[in-house]
Amino acid sequence: MTMSRLGPQPTEVLDRSTKLRFRWNGKRFDGFEGDTIASALAAAGEHVFSRSMKYHRPRGILTADYWDPNLMVQVGDDPNVRAGNRLLEAGMDVRAQNVWPSLHRDIKAANSLFGRFLTAGFYYKTFMRPAWLWPTYERVLATFAPGGKIDLDTPHRYHDKRYTHPDVVVAGAGPAGIEAALAAAAAGARVLLVEHEHAVGGHLRYSSSDSDQAVLAELRAALDASEVEVLTNSTVTGRYEDNWLGIVQRNHPIAVERLIKARAKVLVAAPGLIERPYVFSGNDRPGVITSGAARRLINLWGVKPGERAVVFTANSEGDAAAADLDRVGVEIAAIIDGREGKRVSSAQGSSRALGAVVAGGNRIEADLLVVAAGWTAPTSLLNMAGDRPVHDPATARFFPSDPPGNVLATGGLAGDGTLDELRAHGAATGRLAAQRAAAVAHRLQAMTARARPVDGDEPAWAPDERTPLGRDPHPELYRSDTHGMVDFSEDVGSKDLVAAAHEGYDSVELAKRYTTSTMGPSQGKLETVNTVAAIAEARGETIAQVGTTVWRPPYAPLTLGALAGRVFEPVRVSSIHPWHEANGVSTIIAGQWMRPDHYGDPAAEVRNVRTNVGLIDVTPLGKLDLRGPDIPKLLNLLYTNKWSKLPVGKVRYGMMCAEDGVVLDDGVTGRLGEDHYLMTTTSSGAGGVWEWVENWLQTERPDWKVHVTPVTTAYVSINVAGPKARELVGRVTEGVDLSPDAFPYMEVRLATVAGVDGCFMWRIGFTGELSFEIHAPSGHGLHVWEALMDAGQDLGVGPFGLEGQRIMRLEKGHFIVGQDTDGLTLGPSTGLSPLIKLDKDDFAGMPELAWAADRSLPMIVAIQPDDPNVVPDEASQIVRGNTNEILGRITSARMSPTLGRSICLGQVEPELAAGGTKVTVLLTSGERVSATVMDHHAHFDPAGERLRG
Amino acid sequence: MAESPAFESPVVRSYESSSGGPLMLTDASATTKWLVRAETGGAAADRMDAPFGSSRTAGGGAFVMGSRPGEWIVTGPADAVAEVVAGLDGVDSSEFVTALDWTHGRALFLVTGTDAPRMLEKVCSLDWSDAMTPNGAVASASVAKVTCDIARYDGDSAPTYMIFCDRSFGQYLFDALIDAGDEFGLAVGLPNG
Repeated sequence: MTMSRLGPQPTEVLDRSTKLRFRWNGKRFDGFEGDTIASALAAAGEHVFSRSMKYHRPRGILTADYWDPNLMVQVGDDPNVRAGNRLLEAGMDVRAQNVWPSLHRDIKAANSLFGRFLTAGFYYKTFMRPAWLWPTYERVLATFAPGGKIDLDTPHRYHDKRYTHPDVVVAGAGPAGIEAALAAAAAGARVLLVEHEHAVGGHLRYSSSDSDQAVLAELRAALDASEVEVLTNSTVTGRYEDNWLGIVQRNHPIAVERLIKARAKVLVAAPGLIERPYVFSGNDRPGVITSGAARRLINLWGVKPGERAVVFTANSEGDAAAADLDRVGVEIAAIIDGREGKRVSSAQGSSRALGAVVAGGNRIEADLLVVAAGWTAPTSLLNMAGDRPVHDPATARFFPSDPPGNVLATGGLAGDGTLDELRAHGAATGRLAAQRAAAVAHRLQAMTARARPVDGDEPAWAPDERTPLGRDPHPELYRSDTHGMVDFSEDVGSKDLVAAAHEGYDSVELAKRYTTSTMGPSQGKLETVNTVAAIAEARGETIAQVGTTVWRPPYAPLTLGALAGRVFEPVRVSSIHPWHEANGVSTIIAGQWMRPDHYGDPAAEVRNVRTNVGLIDVTPLGKLDLRGPDIPKLLNLLYTNKWSKLPVGKVRYGMMCAEDGVVLDDGVTGRLGEDHYLMTTTSSGAGGVWEWVENWLQTERPDWKVHVTPVTTAYVSINVAGPKARELVGRVTEGVDLSPDAFPYMEVRLATVAGVDGCFMWRIGFTGELSFEIHAPSGHGLHVWEALMDAGQDLGVGPFGLEGQRIMRLEKGHFIVGQDTDGLTLGPSTGLSPLIKLDKDDFAGMPELAWAADRSLPMIVAIQPDDPNVVPDEASQIVRGNTNEILGRITSARMSPTLGRSICLGQVEPELAAGGTKVTVLLTSGERVSATVMDHHAHFDPAGERLRG
Repeated sequence: MAESPAFESPVVRSYESSSGGPLMLTDASATTKWLVRAETGGAAADRMDAPFGSSRTAGGGAFVMGSRPGEWIVTGPADAVAEVVAGLDGVDSSEFVTALDWTHGRALFLVTGTDAPRMLEKVCSLDWSDAMTPNGAVASASVAKVTCDIARYDGDSAPTYMIFCDRSFGQYLFDALIDAGDEFGLAVGLPNG
């Protein structure tokens, strides 16, 4: 096979004034703008592009398009690039994949010597035993894995995503597809036309007929003048429920790929036909190509595919290829006409090049064999819509049977005809699609509140009155009188399929999985029919009797990057975040929140709070604004304690349990006005509690007059904690008497802080210190924080973060829902049984809690290791003596800067819950240490004198 | 009493701003926003006169959005918004009506331009066609994975989409919208409201 560049061709897509230099296996090559990688290499005389997967046989061009299984290459760090589709770019570093030491001298080609042992099922049968050798097998087999190399250091590239709702999506921009798009658009539909190749036109692009080119020019001009949105080098990869379509756009200007999720009212499938290889001995030898490949090489890229050709043709495409070859000076050694019953038996030559073709007992010297043996109808999108295409032996291909009404087929998929007939069918399909889309649009508008109101009744569902396309007879050409390759991607031959059928894998679905035929990168586009034909032959049945596999998404393989699309990772910050960043914060991610963990030394932050005064940004604390006269009923239902008599200005702690009595959340709720309350939740529980509350109101108590609004970030929440907190807050607050008698613990006031009206101030905290929790309107939150910081400089004010707060809450013995509790922790286990009021009429979890009241339950207790320097890891187990019998676990543990010793909370079996009990903690190191259960949760200030100060 | 300090926007990063362009993103978070809730089909709902999914312009430039059944967002100049809310005072006291100032809880961004639908297609799965999202339409949807309320308010100019989100997501969403609009030549406008 001697390929070379021709002079300019009238239909070529090259810009010969722009030369592109690139590398192929380390050597320099030149191509032109418009070349694919494969066409540039072919023009330079290269004819081996890859090695086959299993036998490492040299492989050359087969189809010269996206589907070509022999043109998978590595481009830079991008593996498995389709050289038949990827356009050449200057500077590309292109390499053959999975060859060693080189493409032309590949040691793994030794596999072909053992080919007859490497039949289907070889791996399954050979490497099952002995089982202990599997790790070794796996290491060795991994070196034979096909495909390119992935560089884990490759920087992430930009993959984009888009949603769209066109009336009509046309998949395939051949003449019928273009006409369908134009007709639908002319009827007023919004149309998206998606073409797999780099340009619209389908087979007209590489036709040398003047009349075809005139039609193509006319269609392109019409498209340019229309409102049709055209995507080229893009593929409709899948059709899902209600015409939810996945489309991959590979040529977007700002993204390496874009995944488009389209909700089409009607899908028009117009993918054309894919030329089917013919099975015979040596059919995978470089130099054997399809007729479409020959025409594409000549007419699109000006590549002469050989010097002396044999053309095996059974249709007009093969005839046209012969004419093209003759026109560009390729000697036609013979034309073997499949319509006359003639066959090609084998392609012979060296391992890397064709030398001769044997047909009808004659040996014909040739370096090129062009095969036109028939078509595969890529019915994938119809399959995905539930259709089961049927095989027509008279035309040797599948046709649609009964797709749903919002999926229409046109073009070669629907039948045969002259170009005019195909165009007319396409146009009729487009009009029908637009009519049906209008009915769907009417329905959608009528049911969507925000949509423009629609007039009149829904249009009737338009009947399909298209004139059907004809069916041109075609000989059934699947396999010759010799065996050859069926699946070029997976190295599966017709012999393998026959053997599989004889082994009992005679169902096409089983044989497919057993042999892996149709499971490679071509996704069955070239192999499915020949696979089915081989099995049918082995079973002595027809293709229709054997049936076919069901094509599922994706229509064409797509990258993981395309599937991932743009990565949206929302983050939440409080208004004070810029200050934290400017002041050396170490941030912790808590859910979606970026929160201050500490500012360098959490222990110092704790000491400052215990000694002076500190500020913490607790904005993520969940906050729900409650309004309405029935709030007490709601609170009584949600919390385990009583809420009927909470006075205005008071705050109360409450614990929420789910229906199973398990602790759900906790927090304080304050009464701001007669019918106005503010509920706080844990930070992590903010969203869940809101849903919980709305669930009760909307489904169980819709008659209650309560409106709940999440206001978590409407307010910046600042806790001012420490012995000097009152003095600091007093310096910036107006309108509130902060004295202990006027504003005692567990009360709330409306205040003006740092000139900001509408701040809520609570006398609560999580640190065990005198605390004022200020909730200021977020639009002034940073101002309030900075005002407090400025005002407290002489008081030693400093920020403290989540870690400092966690230490102090542990010193104080406050449990955290979700850390010290788990999915089985019932309310009484928290030690808060007095807050569980079983004499209420009802509340969430009451029946379970009533049951639990008489039971011995695991308890949350404070624990101190006897060695004050030992800080157990959280989740360390509490065990019985030297056994491994688990009696509990450490749920929280820290070194207390205040006490100078380690402190813990834990959950223990009831027998260990009494103060003074000695327990054994099994550290993660395996060491066992002794610890003591304390009398109460608080390690520090158990009487609460400081917080009430 | 000191005067209240200036409103701090959730968008704190600096951007090169433009006074105009074919596609603009503007931070309008400082605009007054109130949330009104009342019974569906009651007298208050009649006064709000913006059924779920629709909106109307009230006196003084207030904009009333029917954001959910029985729920409205009222936004615009503070005085005009106050007037709309005050109009609920005369509703029969037996009807349960509440209104709260949501200005500080929600960020508000405006996307203006004929390419705005194409830009928003990159971050939101709504159908932005004139039929499904006409001028005045109101919807709730995920925008770049953030739950948002959205209203189309064209005024006299090109299509304008008002996007409300929880304030804490404001900076993230603003950046996500800039990224989405980059290919269409998006410019950042001067903050307003």
